[in-house]
Amino acid sequence: MSDTLLGVKDLVVEFSTRRGILTAVDKVSFDLERGEVLGLVGESGAGKSITGSAIVGLIDPPGRIAAGTVHLAGQRIDNLPSEKMRRIRGDKIGMVFQDPLTSLNPLYTVAKQLVQTILTHKDISKKQARDRAIELLDKVGIPAADLRIDDYPHQFSGGMRQRVVIALALCADPELIIADEPTTALDVSVQSQIVGVLKKMCSEHGASVILITHDMGVIAEAADRVAVLYSGRMAEIGPVRDVIKHPQHPYTKGLMGSIPTITQEGDRLTQIPGSMPRLTDRPPGCAFAPRCEMAMDVCRQNHPEEKDVGTARVACHLMRKEGAVA
Amino acid sequence: MKDTLVNVENLTRIFDVSKPWLNRVIEREEKKLLLAVNGVSLEIRRGETFALVGESGSGKSTIAKMIVGLLSASQGKIDFDGIDLFQPGGAEMRALRQRYQMIFQDPFASLNPRWRVNKIIAEPLRKFDMESSESARHKRVEELLELVGMSAKDGVKFPHEFSGGQRQRIAIARALSSNPEFIVCDEPTSALDVSVQAQILNLMRDLQDELGLTYLFISHDLSVVRHMANRIGVLYLGRLVEVADGKELFRNPRHPYTKMLLNAIPDLDMTGREVARPDGEIPNPINPPSGCTFHPRCPIATEYCKREIPSARNSEAGSVACFEATGD
Repeated sequence: MSDTLLGVKDLVVEFSTRRGILTAVDKVSFDLERGEVLGLVGESGAGKSITGSAIVGLIDPPGRIAAGTVHLAGQRIDNLPSEKMRRIRGDKIGMVFQDPLTSLNPLYTVAKQLVQTILTHKDISKKQARDRAIELLDKVGIPAADLRIDDYPHQFSGGMRQRVVIALALCADPELIIADEPTTALDVSVQSQIVGVLKKMCSEHGASVILITHDMGVIAEAADRVAVLYSGRMAEIGPVRDVIKHPQHPYTKGLMGSIPTITQEGDRLTQIPGSMPRLTDRPPGCAFAPRCEMAMDVCRQNHPEEKDVGTARVACHLMRKEGAVA
Repeated sequence: MKDTLVNVENLTRIFDVSKPWLNRVIEREEKKLLLAVNGVSLEIRRGETFALVGESGSGKSTIAKMIVGLLSASQGKIDFDGIDLFQPGGAEMRALRQRYQMIFQDPFASLNPRWRVNKIIAEPLRKFDMESSESARHKRVEELLELVGMSAKDGVKFPHEFSGGQRQRIAIARALSSNPEFIVCDEPTSALDVSVQAQILNLMRDLQDELGLTYLFISHDLSVVRHMANRIGVLYLGRLVEVADGKELFRNPRHPYTKMLLNAIPDLDMTGREVARPDGEIPNPINPPSGCTFHPRCPIATEYCKREIPSARNSEAGSVACFEATGD
């Protein structure tokens, strides 16, 4: 068996609305190796969260997976009946959501939620489950875990709650963790702590992570590879270092230039004119063409194929041209 | 000093977060007071961008609201161009109000969804009786829309027809309509995507150059602040712990909290700089630690710091409120 844990191929997610069918995710493909952290970045509406939800089968009607396949450890999971999928969720895939207050039940103590989750997936006694819960809380960095386990979620601060959610996701030793904006609701100083915990826990448990965020800083710190989504399509995917330092796709270039950094001198940020098109009026051809300075005629007519450029894979007509000429 | 536009002295705001009277009597509880802003003094010079940074609960927004008069201060004094903001009433205050405006964080909440953009932007004009006729007002609104990079025709639309970035442009146009000298910007870009954030930050800088505006810029994002501010004030639990020149603060942070914040910034240049993970979290402001409120998280805290509250020490480079911080 190869080292590929998750294979997503030509995934298409559609929402049928009164105004017709919206394609929120349009032919997105990527592989995830064991132990790897893949960042999914994009602006709001780029389809990053939908991609994450589609992998775990949490797309609610009117949305549906219209095409494509998702394989987890060799098993196809996108077409499983919901009961079977429910076993896989939690057991093989753990999720960490953005807002730790809404992903914990406010009426139950942390102990109850953790123990219940562990018992659902593991065949052990209640006492063992509780010990394991304390161990997990301790590992994610909650001080005095044996005392705090009987507290309710509201008695924890935001950062501590997110640690609890990470512990919850790790309960059943999943092979894959999908973290959807895990640090967005947190303060800067706490944010970097949580990224650290997530990274440490995953390497210790040997789990792979899909890290969904809009924050390039978090990606730079935590991810091995990064996939940049734009308007539901893959713009560029490659090793973090290469994508950040030498972005190929004009959108990635603009995106990197528009982030203010502390070392940067000079007055103006590079700006990309306009904003991402709504899904209802995505232009024909490349979705980025109307905002792209280098757009050619072909960009406005045909959607570019993904091409291998160095270590990255880029969907842009410019790449093909250069490749063909050379 | 001549070039000071806004001078804030010893500004303090206390919120009463106690339970209702009857509960307090029955449960024998004391009143609970939250010291949101604690003795903050700062001066904002004409034409500069002064930034306030801090984590949530550090009192940044409370200070902004007190300066524009949306909240009253419990103690302290705010001078705007030499006039005490808490003194005058009536007409004098109205005249003064024209000269400062505010831009809010969430452009989805700060624009009335039932009003057309024209009406939203013209509201300050109407309130301050600035343009005599309807047509003059209309013309001014069109000018403003173009100034912020939108089309004059957009005025007839409603806010929901625009994206977040465009709405923030509308909010900026509204803030500019009364020809203010001073604009308080409370996290103006934190609800926006990065590529749109860059547009808005560039726009704000262009407008500053063009119109000679003074900004109080509030943000939790140090990289944005680095880009925008001439001088920076760092807040921790309602206290100003360090004020310094923008570049100086980043090159030579003096307060241990500032150092911690700077170390936590992700390394986007991939220089291989070690990102240090800060310890602990902001404590509960209802029961702040004794002495210097930062001491439980501070790597260089001494016994003395646990007892005594450091006051700001001024030097050429700025001011810092710490016993242990070294000069340069």
